[in-house]
Amino acid sequence: MAKTVKENIRNFCIIAHIDHGKSTLADRIMEVTGQVAERDMEEQLLDSMDLERERGITIKLTPVRMSYKAKNGEEYIFNLIDTPGHVDFTYEVSRSLAACEGAVLIVDATQGIEAQTLANCYLALDNDLEIVPVINKIDLASADPDSTAKEIEDVIGLDGSSAPRISAKNGINIEGVLEKIVSDVPAPSGDDEAPLQALIFDSYYDNFKGVICFVRIMNGIVSQGLKIKTFTGDKQFDVTEVGTFNPQLIPKKSLSSGEVGYIAASIKSIEDIHVGDTITGVNFPASEPLPGYKKVQPVVFSGIYPLDGSKYGDLKDALLKLKLNDASLTFEPDNSAALGFGFRCGFLGLLHMEIIQERIEREFDIDIITTAPSVSYKIHLTNGEVVTVDNPSRFPEVSSIDYAEEPMIEANIFTPPDYVGAIMELCQDKRGTFKDMSYIDAKRVKLNYKLPLNEIIFDFFDGLKSRTRGYASFDYEVSGYERSELVKLDIMLNGDVCDALSVIVHKDKAYPRGRALAERLKEVIPRQLFEVPIQASVGGKIIARETVKAMRKDVLAKCYGGDITRKRKLLEKQKEGKKKMRQLGSVEVPSEAFMSILKIDSSDK
Amino acid sequence: MSGIYVHIPFCKSKCTYCDFASYPKEIGKAELYFACLYKEMKGRAESLDGYTFDTVYFGGGTPSFVDPKYIYGAMKQLKNYYKITNDAEITIEINPGTLDENKLKIYKAAGFNRFSVGMQSANDEILKDLNRIHTSKQFLEACELLKGENLSVDIMIGLPDQTEEDIKKSVDLAIAGGAVHISAHALKAEEGTPMYGRYLNGELPSADEVADMYDFTRNYLAKRGFSRYEVSNFSKEGYYSRHNLNYWNRGEYIGFGVSASSFIGERRFTNTEKIDEYTACILRNKVAEIYGEEIEGDEREFEFIMLGLRKERGIAFDDFKERFGVDFREKYADKIKQLSPFLDITLENIAIKPDKLYVQNEIIIRFMD
Repeated sequence: MAKTVKENIRNFCIIAHIDHGKSTLADRIMEVTGQVAERDMEEQLLDSMDLERERGITIKLTPVRMSYKAKNGEEYIFNLIDTPGHVDFTYEVSRSLAACEGAVLIVDATQGIEAQTLANCYLALDNDLEIVPVINKIDLASADPDSTAKEIEDVIGLDGSSAPRISAKNGINIEGVLEKIVSDVPAPSGDDEAPLQALIFDSYYDNFKGVICFVRIMNGIVSQGLKIKTFTGDKQFDVTEVGTFNPQLIPKKSLSSGEVGYIAASIKSIEDIHVGDTITGVNFPASEPLPGYKKVQPVVFSGIYPLDGSKYGDLKDALLKLKLNDASLTFEPDNSAALGFGFRCGFLGLLHMEIIQERIEREFDIDIITTAPSVSYKIHLTNGEVVTVDNPSRFPEVSSIDYAEEPMIEANIFTPPDYVGAIMELCQDKRGTFKDMSYIDAKRVKLNYKLPLNEIIFDFFDGLKSRTRGYASFDYEVSGYERSELVKLDIMLNGDVCDALSVIVHKDKAYPRGRALAERLKEVIPRQLFEVPIQASVGGKIIARETVKAMRKDVLAKCYGGDITRKRKLLEKQKEGKKKMRQLGSVEVPSEAFMSILKIDSSDK
Repeated sequence: MSGIYVHIPFCKSKCTYCDFASYPKEIGKAELYFACLYKEMKGRAESLDGYTFDTVYFGGGTPSFVDPKYIYGAMKQLKNYYKITNDAEITIEINPGTLDENKLKIYKAAGFNRFSVGMQSANDEILKDLNRIHTSKQFLEACELLKGENLSVDIMIGLPDQTEEDIKKSVDLAIAGGAVHISAHALKAEEGTPMYGRYLNGELPSADEVADMYDFTRNYLAKRGFSRYEVSNFSKEGYYSRHNLNYWNRGEYIGFGVSASSFIGERRFTNTEKIDEYTACILRNKVAEIYGEEIEGDEREFEFIMLGLRKERGIAFDDFKERFGVDFREKYADKIKQLSPFLDITLENIAIKPDKLYVQNEIIIRFMD
């Protein structure tokens, strides 16, 4: 490949806080570069999963290659690598950033810099990327591009004055962004003659081609027939196809250093390919992998059970298929006295968990019951052993516990100053430790807290949203374990412990949470033929009690007796409705009860 | 035991809760309707040749609203084409605002020996609110005419703003009128009725409040000498409705007229609710059925249980064994055990406990599948 071409390659990504216009700008760039005819545009092309489009988020990364004729008359190749914006996928973001030389940073002119803006910006700086700030939504009445430009200078330390002011939605000044990419983002370096080093930044499973690896070639050349391997695995593969993205796959003869594309090599299992790993040649291998690889560990765990016990096999198939495209999902068989056979699953975060749950129900049409999410605790036993517990039913006997540790996070919260008090109160209530506070400008404050992760997965987001009327933004990173006093909170229905409703909580939270949980369950458990006592207990001691009163009217009593069929149909319907229920001992519990643990705000009680 | 039901789809005006096949504006079609009704009766006769009927029930609508000649004619037609026992129970529903001496004379001549009067409430405010066409005074006047007859009275509970005192007065008035049988139905807001709008507005009593009213009604009726034999039906000793009991016993019956249901030879079928569709079918010598279903083995058993458990006395074990060839206690041992706090079991029969009859759906559906 001619050297001049490499100098005209621009590999970049777009980073932004949620709703600041990332997908819209990506669509416009593709439109302006003629990648897609306007009439073929479906909104937000890169977010191809229905779920992604509905939620306005990016889950899987989709790169696209475009050509752009710049004002200097030269033709440039643009590789746009999309990134997921959510904290759950921070590692994926960091890997796709590592495949780029530059990042377009979008800041919403009506909102200014938010928590994810900064988090993503730091990630980009960590990867030595050239950052091209862009001020979006200038067409809105509430836009304040001047102070946004000033914020970019004050908070991030970039030159905000030369940032293109655009409206991605209305296509204003998109060329300004493209010209900035040409002028500011460096061309890739790399040596075609050196041993192959290809960074894997994403992958998916294709039924015909096997695993498709999304790669950035750092050094060397890869073409069909080459024998390759990864640094973490010991298997070898023969490359069957290489190419670039349109965003559909476009086969090419070879990929050389500086290029972004895909490699297919009849790889049968996604387990053989890890995001962040390096591909090299078998016969002319690189001496070391590209830096930055780490194995992703799940941080949030929950039980997933089929509503209909006979669908266990289907659920297993669904999880296996999802795992084909999502190596970060973990699962192992589990069984619960209350819910029967199911799986204990590990996720990168709450959003990841919700996405997987929704995909099981939507794409595989399996009704599932999910238990409240948990984090992974380290329990030090008196005999010196340390056990990892992410499932409340595996919580050891109290007498055998020496001490326990729980995972912590470092949180950044951006908020208008009016809400600082409310947020501090919330963080305090969530057992947070104040670290730092700084004024970004007169209108916004950055708060830095250390918080236990298990408080975040409970109801932190809702609490933050309601206390700040949605004005605060939040981002975090996991930061190790700390000693903590943990207890197991059990729920008894009609006197029997329901294992699927147990949660591990901090000792000080057991009482309010037990009470809130009992109250919430009283609302979601329908009245039955008999009275149902709901009790919350810790270590056998009852700490809260509620009662679901017995039902009193449940009868078909219409005066025309002759229409028996209608009566039978009504009863059949009533019986059908019961399929959404779980029989726990003598009590029928609707499947949503198991998630209701999440939906209570104990601090309001 | 087999029954005949005849549906009269006409009334003076629609009550606010009514979703039955009854059309106040269609009275002009009465002549054609009854001609078709007679034709339908004649048309079914041959296929029901082997049947003997011991109950006949004219319901509606308001059978007493139409010209009594039609009622007389219908009864005559039945007698011409069907074997009806001499001691048959022959009932007609009557709206108190529509009865006169002449009509009653004709009904009696036609063979009616039981009269079911829709009083609904003793409270004139409530009657007006329900768009009933009569007052409590008119009810008593009708009762005066029906003095000494086998009289059943319908009352309603669970009405908006209804009090226990209202219910007590209704029961008292029904008994003062000479009732030996009282049906007490709880209001159900059906979609499409004016009452449904009030239900959506939250104007109707809650399920618990209705249950309270029901308990009060049942207790008060018991005090006045009326015992419950089915969820909504109460009578003095020996005066239960044979026609309705036939439904609960899963007996056979033939229905004539719009919306009438039938159960003959393990087949259930129902006529169209629309008068025009009904007459068009009958005139073309076709049946007017819009629905028909053969009831298969297991469903027969479930129906029997579902209907049997509506009754105070429940299901007799020997009856069950005779019908289905198995012992109920053996076949449903698990369910009986599981539901034992809610069931009364004697050597002869099994019934839902009296204080649980009003939550019977939950119990009955356990016997499904």
